[in-house]
Amino acid sequence: MPGRIRAQLLKGTTTLLVLTVLRDGELYGYEIAQTIRDRSGGAFIPSEGALYPALHALEADGALEASWRESDRGPRRRYYKITKAGLGMLEDHAQEWAAFSLGMGRAVGGANR
Amino acid sequence: MTVDWLYATLWLAGWGAFLIAAVALVRRGERRLSPGPRDFRAPISPDSGGSDPISAYLDRMTGELALPAADVAEVRAELADHLNDSIASLEAEGMDRETAVREALGRLGPPAELGRQLRAAHQSTRRLLAGAGGGVFAAGGGFVLGSLGGMALAIVIATLFAAVAAILGRIGVSLPDLNSRENGYAAISLLSSFIVAAGAAIATRYAVRTSAGLSRRAPRTVALFWAAAAVVAFGWWAIFSQRGLQSWPIVAGEFCIPLVAAAGALVRIERPMPHVGRWALAVVLVSVIVLPLLLFAGTTTSGSGLQVEPWSPSDFNLDTVAPAAPAAWLPPDDIVESGVGDAQAGPAEIDAQLISQSSATSGPLPIAAVLANWRDLRFEAWHSYPIGHNSGPVGIDTNYRTPFTVQPAVVEGDTLKAEFHFERLRDARSWWVVLTGIAPDGNRYRLGDGTGDQTDFNGSAWDWLTAPQ
Repeated sequence: MPGRIRAQLLKGTTTLLVLTVLRDGELYGYEIAQTIRDRSGGAFIPSEGALYPALHALEADGALEASWRESDRGPRRRYYKITKAGLGMLEDHAQEWAAFSLGMGRAVGGANR
Repeated sequence: MTVDWLYATLWLAGWGAFLIAAVALVRRGERRLSPGPRDFRAPISPDSGGSDPISAYLDRMTGELALPAADVAEVRAELADHLNDSIASLEAEGMDRETAVREALGRLGPPAELGRQLRAAHQSTRRLLAGAGGGVFAAGGGFVLGSLGGMALAIVIATLFAAVAAILGRIGVSLPDLNSRENGYAAISLLSSFIVAAGAAIATRYAVRTSAGLSRRAPRTVALFWAAAAVVAFGWWAIFSQRGLQSWPIVAGEFCIPLVAAAGALVRIERPMPHVGRWALAVVLVSVIVLPLLLFAGTTTSGSGLQVEPWSPSDFNLDTVAPAAPAAWLPPDDIVESGVGDAQAGPAEIDAQLISQSSATSGPLPIAAVLANWRDLRFEAWHSYPIGHNSGPVGIDTNYRTPFTVQPAVVEGDTLKAEFHFERLRDARSWWVVLTGIAPDGNRYRLGDGTGDQTDFNGSAWDWLTAPQ
């Protein structure tokens, strides 16, 4: 049950998580998933099935740019890089998330009292 | 002749910029549609043989994509890379390969669902609008380039026809005479239809390939839309809006234009277009350099002109209409029919007047009073044929036993009048109108020698199809 609730909560945050990790540099798909998991201490493991549609949708919207090139280890990879439009989108999402989590914290905190 | 160089330069630069932009757009779309570099087709896993669970998963997923080939190849390669990494990581954690593969595939979820989500991600509204706009722009450029290419081919065809006609002429075999008005017009119309059809086919092909590439859709998924749009646009233009001389070959050529346009959108549309830029450059070069040279050469070898053969009044066959009225029932003066108006563009107004032969009077006499004993005065329009050559006079065509149309003669002052529309009759390219009436003896006679001319069917292909015989 806790896993299901977490999956529900993660819905809609994939965009924010992806843009946040790409703000620090270019990564390919598998690395993005790993970075999110590592940064959250394993708390967030984005659904891999939702990750790629999100990446491609962000690319179609102009928030990301993708290019194929050699990786340090192994074959060519499709690397994603955040664009100027993507940085603007990240800012909007971050503000929304801050307002949402603050409101949710107050509401849930109030309910607990 | 003076040339406004500024205008000419701006005109050429404008068209040049338009064509370059259109070709660049087509090439951009084409790049998305091509399968892409082989590097994208990375090996799925070291031991994959095409029938393993990973290949089966990727096949099922890509089956739902309906994207251009380059996108499909990229998505497949990207997810194959992801699975390789995921499996390697799971194996490093101690899983056996079979379990690791099952776990990695499970994390990606059902393949069909993933394919549908990826397709939706690629086919955004923004890309759809870009594809639609790009398709229209590319169609414009394609029409210009295709028409130029068609023009070059048409001149080659005409030159070959002339060469074959000359060779056959030497051995006594004659092809249709293209110097005659009707054959010449039909040949020019067919070549014009050929040029427009070539432009239409390239326009729709460019539209489909470009809009598919820019909107991230497989060409076959947008081809039907562009084929329908081409049939409506070119069909309207060719069948309803183009007015002029028509004949069955010309109408057939006009009907071919929307069909060829639709074929350009549908036939082998998944096949990449070869070297769009080079092809366009070749067409422009041929059109700018070779066509003017051929046209210049053509103007120095013009035909021999019209030949007018001798004719005699008996060639008119007027007795086919009715016998001449007995002199006793006719006034001493001549009844002269004449036609005014442009029979090719509108009504031909035919009138008959009683022209005095007496030097004491001048001008028309009161014809209605003189012909008071006659009944059912009418103008009869008969099929006729040119006597001699096309520009010569016409006579009644004895293959017809009845007039093709009849109008009552209406009295207007000193004149009998009727109005005919010859420009929408398929089978009346030469007409002859004679005034007839029923004399006191109860028989019909002709009261004059009539008047005639040639006319051409003047209307659209649809007018031709729906015209009375």
